Amino acid sequence: MPSFSIQDFMPIFPAAILAVGAMALLLSEAFLVSVPHASASRGYQAVIGVITAAFAGTVAFHNAFEDPRVVLQGFAVLDPFSSFVTVVVAVTVGLAVLLSAGFLKHRNAERGEFYALMLFAAAGMSLLALSAEFITLFVNLEVLSVATYALTAYLRRGTRPAEAGFKYFILGAFSGALLLYGAALLYGATGTTKLAGMAEVLRAASSGDKAWLVYCGMVLVATGFAFKVAAVPFHMWTPDVYEGAPTPVTALMSAGVKAAAFVALIRVFVALAPGLGPQVPFVLFGGLALLTMVAGNLMALPQRNVKRMLAYSSVAHAGYVLLGVTALFAPAAGTEGHGMGVLSASPLLGQVPASAHADIYKAILFYLLGYAVTTIGSFGVLAALERREDETRGTTWDLDRFAGLAHSKPGWAIAMAACMLSLGGIPPTVGFMGKLLVFRAAVDAGLLGLAIVGVLTSAAAAYYYLRVVVYMFMRNAAEGAAVPERHWQTDVALAVATAGVILLGILPGPVTAWLTQATMLALR
Amino acid sequence: MNASFDSRLLNLVIFSPLVFAAVLALLPKTEKGQLRSLTLAGMLVNFALTVWAFLRFQSHGPEFQLEYRVNWVSEIGLSYHLGVDGLAIALVLLTGLLGPLVVLASWTFVDHRVKEFHLALLLLQTAMLGALCSLDVLLFYVFFEAMLIPMYLLIGVWGAEERQMAAMKFFLYTLVGSLLMLVALLAVYFIAQPTGARSFDYATLYNGLLQANQQVAQCVQQGLTADTCTTASPAALALLKYGPFMFLAFALAFAIKVPMFPFHTWLPDAHVQAPVAGSMVLAGVMLKMGTFGFWRFAVPLFPQAARQYQLAIGVIAVIGIVYGALMCLAQRDIKKLIAYSSVSHLGYCMLGIAAFTPEGATGSAYQMLNHGVSTSALFLLFGMLYERRHVRLMSDYGGIAKVMPVFATFFLIITFSSVAVPGTNGFVGEFLVLLGSFKSHLPLWVSALAATAVVLGAAYMLWMVQRVFFGPLTHSENKGLSDMNAREWVTALPLVVLVLVMGLQPQPLLDVIAPSTRHYIDRALFASGPEHQDLRRVQINVRGLEPEVAAAPPGQKLNPAPLAVPMGSVRLLPATTPPVPHGIPPPVAAPLPTLGH
Repeated sequence: MPSFSIQDFMPIFPAAILAVGAMALLLSEAFLVSVPHASASRGYQAVIGVITAAFAGTVAFHNAFEDPRVVLQGFAVLDPFSSFVTVVVAVTVGLAVLLSAGFLKHRNAERGEFYALMLFAAAGMSLLALSAEFITLFVNLEVLSVATYALTAYLRRGTRPAEAGFKYFILGAFSGALLLYGAALLYGATGTTKLAGMAEVLRAASSGDKAWLVYCGMVLVATGFAFKVAAVPFHMWTPDVYEGAPTPVTALMSAGVKAAAFVALIRVFVALAPGLGPQVPFVLFGGLALLTMVAGNLMALPQRNVKRMLAYSSVAHAGYVLLGVTALFAPAAGTEGHGMGVLSASPLLGQVPASAHADIYKAILFYLLGYAVTTIGSFGVLAALERREDETRGTTWDLDRFAGLAHSKPGWAIAMAACMLSLGGIPPTVGFMGKLLVFRAAVDAGLLGLAIVGVLTSAAAAYYYLRVVVYMFMRNAAEGAAVPERHWQTDVALAVATAGVILLGILPGPVTAWLTQATMLALR
Repeated sequence: MNASFDSRLLNLVIFSPLVFAAVLALLPKTEKGQLRSLTLAGMLVNFALTVWAFLRFQSHGPEFQLEYRVNWVSEIGLSYHLGVDGLAIALVLLTGLLGPLVVLASWTFVDHRVKEFHLALLLLQTAMLGALCSLDVLLFYVFFEAMLIPMYLLIGVWGAEERQMAAMKFFLYTLVGSLLMLVALLAVYFIAQPTGARSFDYATLYNGLLQANQQVAQCVQQGLTADTCTTASPAALALLKYGPFMFLAFALAFAIKVPMFPFHTWLPDAHVQAPVAGSMVLAGVMLKMGTFGFWRFAVPLFPQAARQYQLAIGVIAVIGIVYGALMCLAQRDIKKLIAYSSVSHLGYCMLGIAAFTPEGATGSAYQMLNHGVSTSALFLLFGMLYERRHVRLMSDYGGIAKVMPVFATFFLIITFSSVAVPGTNGFVGEFLVLLGSFKSHLPLWVSALAATAVVLGAAYMLWMVQRVFFGPLTHSENKGLSDMNAREWVTALPLVVLVLVMGLQPQPLLDVIAPSTRHYIDRALFASGPEHQDLRRVQINVRGLEPEVAAAPPGQKLNPAPLAVPMGSVRLLPATTPPVPHGIPPPVAAPLPTLGH
């Protein structure tokens, strides 16, 4: 019988808090609602959700100052890296809950289950970020996924939610199976599912007759993650699912799910790469990053549907994070002479300095935070502009909806403009700082070719982001366009997100200083 | 005046428009008169501050003055560092002067979304002044990009018929160039200093590259490449290998902004569609960011690559001069003609920059100021005409001098400045540029062609003036045009006076610019021959950061908020102590490898 101390459970406290909050919300639906079918008496539920998220975030923030270590017999880790992502998830889910309040009230669909599912999903994200063993990782991935499948199909009006939920479920299950299969192959090669210690066994296994098991396993695991982070060519589900899901849920998916999946991906590959040599993950992620940056941005260009545009933009942003991930595995002495073209790594001073890795982690984490805040803001404005009556029509999210917004709702227009500029990476917004840190890390690792592709694609991206600004500020609203309703919760969420976008863009100092700590991983 | 105030002065200059913008944001939308007056007041305060800063600048003092520096993001070596040299302070003064004029010029022209318009103007003023005063390259980049947003809105919201396309084109052109520059900047940042000492500070970057640049020059003089030059340090090897690409990335960003010949296509669209205020600011200040960028960053950081591409830049500049002039001759649209004349005039600026001679550089700097005065005055004056008639074609006018004699006089004086008639400011600048170009290493035909194009310049401007102002009054609509009113007098007079003052008495301004010119030439020619090897002649001395904050090694537990250094704690170096050599290896201690021929 293993003995656990309270210290072992510290990392899962935030997730436990989220789960308790979720259960309280479920119970509230049974005991604390006076009028069963009206939203009127449910105003407090969103508040419970936000408080739970804030509490979980505070605990996670506290955890971030603990020394990194492996806990629960190697099934989980407690390190600032995962704690930081839990903070990001808590911020994301808090804002998403606020956005949902107005969104659901407008549709008379406000129920405790919805918020509970969001909190369960957040608990899954938090747990995914700290999993250090393949079975745990898979179970947590499913906790997170099942909650989001249900959320996607939550509004049962019209065919879209059902289609989106079904598509997401099938492809999610498929990618989960790929990941599990890859983990099984790795288990076959090494005899363990724990990340700690797997690398040494892998080194022996990858040179022996089980080498194919190892490589197939790695590629399958990477593919499973690539589905989750929506990297090209595994992004096919993204636009349909993002479009069909209720908009606050889309915001949660594109900010939180992506952040958690990236952290899990980094943890797995950083732990296993020493057993393989960095070349395999480098080529794998370099290729994915290249494809994702180019294809994501190109596919977003022709979109007139803003929600689909944001979906493709989220694919493109996964590409920039993947650029950072690639930099992690860049060979220290460069790959000159291997004929890898734009994928080659040629460090400026001949060698990648030892300090580069901390900078890369910092860049990725900051990017994820910045993207989370920005994407919540942009989907938030989108959600605020949606009208229930249009849900079954194709034009709900058309660019025309944004025409003249600067006149009718200047606050929302400014929020949306700040978010669009941030997504486009234009100073003084957090998106610029994030891109700066990521490109800086990439150049330091010698990824000049990929960095140039990155900046060129983000210049192309500015076109479709600016088009939204054009519609808001330079076009007049159509005659008789309906004025959307306002809810204070939405306004608060938008104000917080916009303030984050601009303040973190001008004064990123406190966060980056703190991130210097968060770059410590328990497993290397 | 005490010294600690001087160090804050640039902050006041940059952010005073922002403060007024914040107040403006609180006013109700419908109070148009109040909004305009408050913006005018803000711009006047800002102008007064720029004048003050200009007066505090001592032309015989250190290179960079009125410095202010605090930490910004210390982990990546980003500091909020302001300071101006002679060229920058002159451009700051020009920007400050244009501010109130721009507001006056759009007093009646802009009548919808008045509040947003004036907010955009004030934000633009802050961003432009910030870019001119930044001594941290990334800070410059932030302001350089931030400038795009209000200008994009100015063109896109208050412009003419095709405004949205023009605004988008303007934004994307500039963005592509500047993003490539960002990658090159990151590469410079990594090459210039070793881990731990890295900084985006201009002086740190420049001084850190000095020795590498010296070695690169030696390798190139010996005809060696990155593979064969074995004596060079890793930094020099990287610079030898990537230097030309980095220079081209910087040059592309600034060439788009100038704009130089093949990248100029956004300019006519932007100018034609922009409202008067937009055109004035665009021509007056924003285009200068391109030439200023060459002067401050592209050439000094990569002198070897710049010399390598000297001929190319010179030829492209001359193509711009001739092409711009020929395009002017073919225009029927007056605003487009003025826009193309900008392409031609800025060609002279670039020719002077590429000449690498003191006369050329001085002329180029002077020409930047001239162009700011005369082209924005042309846009301003044409804006008055446009406000009365709302047509842009020359054929819609004719004989205007008969109904608007005062206006015609003003226009003619500015035209003389634009065609560089002696006695106006244009003459001084163009003459110096051509002189510098003839004395430089550029082939004679380049300079000869540039000199010939002066005639073309006179041709298109005078032809336009003749068709618009003289001859019979062909259109009956033009008979009732009123001459300039008091507000228009006040707006146009400063620029006209400036044309004459700068033309007849150029020496005071030239004195302010002279130290910058000398430094620019020293840096452009650095390591090009045995007489240009002295590191101390070129290295940049600026104020260091507060040591206890700057010395925190990376990776150590950092205080969460080292950002806000208390205002009082920034120490100003007394004028007598030698400035802190910031990140420079002692120039004498490191023996220079001898040139092995």
